[in-house]
Amino acid sequence: MTEERFQQFLRDAAQDYNRPPEAPREEIWRAIQAIRRERRERPRPQWLHRVLAAPSVRWGVGIAAALVIGIGVGRLSMRGDVAGEAGAVAENGGAAGAEAAFQWVTAQHLGQVETLLTGFRVDARLGRPVAQSGGAARELLSTTRLLLDSPVSEDQALRSLLEDVELVLAQIALFSSRRAPEELEIIDRSIEQRSVLLRLHSAVGAQPSLTGVQGVL
Amino acid sequence: MDDKELVARVRAGDAQAERALYDQHVDRVYRLAYRMTGDDDLARDFTQETFIRVFDRIDQFRGAAALSTWLRSVAVTVVLNGLRKVKRFRRREVALEAAEPTGGNPHPTQPDLREKLERAIEALPVKYRMVFVMHDVEGYTHEEIGAAMGVQVGTSKAQLSRARARLRESLAEFAGEWAS
Repeated sequence: MTEERFQQFLRDAAQDYNRPPEAPREEIWRAIQAIRRERRERPRPQWLHRVLAAPSVRWGVGIAAALVIGIGVGRLSMRGDVAGEAGAVAENGGAAGAEAAFQWVTAQHLGQVETLLTGFRVDARLGRPVAQSGGAARELLSTTRLLLDSPVSEDQALRSLLEDVELVLAQIALFSSRRAPEELEIIDRSIEQRSVLLRLHSAVGAQPSLTGVQGVL
Repeated sequence: MDDKELVARVRAGDAQAERALYDQHVDRVYRLAYRMTGDDDLARDFTQETFIRVFDRIDQFRGAAALSTWLRSVAVTVVLNGLRKVKRFRRREVALEAAEPTGGNPHPTQPDLREKLERAIEALPVKYRMVFVMHDVEGYTHEEIGAAMGVQVGTSKAQLSRARARLRESLAEFAGEWAS
């Protein structure tokens, strides 16, 4: 009897747990349409054509392997064996390996930026401490700059996204040292006005997973 | 329009059918996402991602289960994966904060029942929380939960039972509320 009472009590009390507002149907629908449109219109990156057309892809493979292993993607909450797997993809695969490694590095990086920005905005909005995001932002900023200097940036859409990501990450890194509350609003505005999260979401979704890549190889 | 016809029209690229499918299911997807995240932005993101995947993968829907069952399984996958990302971020934050004292109040006030319950639900392992929220809060059956999470009905029941046991333990100081 007590158990039944407890269950009833729990069900009643839990109704207030994260009680949802009405779904913003039209806004979500517009966002879905925008993401799908962007994915449909997204051309195949030019840098991929060039890497694949190059007489020797060793250069590309070398850069990819260096990016995978050297940039330190694995430092950011990745399992230790994954960088090795990606390195093996780059080393073994020739043109396909270069393509796969570049795609993998870019997808991983953009995924990590998406995670940081999502968490940062949520915590900022809920009043949780966000200053420590600066360290993560600085690490991601370094990788962003390396990618901007790599063949990846020959894809104009991706370059534009990386440049906007660079700006927002720099703002977050600066915020962590200055801790000026008004800068939170500026960061939020930068993310909103440039649709950074929307574009990241779209870009990450468009990249194949490492598993998928390995399947192809 | 039944599910079969709706899916056929979505597969053919009919924009009105896409919107009809969206309208039929968006409220429940958003509700579940919001219940699991407690955050409007995340709930919107997860809802968007669910429908984008559904439209992208509609060819994979074979009709063996109801459309709502398939769609719910996509939503649950999106929410669980999304929460893992957020959790990874938070873990980094917590580790960094632990290294630097924040100067917070060392003697917080005793939380009331509602706060305590919220914290206890938040502290559940994410899959237990999903089962608890779906069953006890949103009213899904174990069959629906099992299909959405890709587990047996028995597993869903066992996870709910463990979730409740943990909550009961966490709320022990309020036992008078349900024992009387």
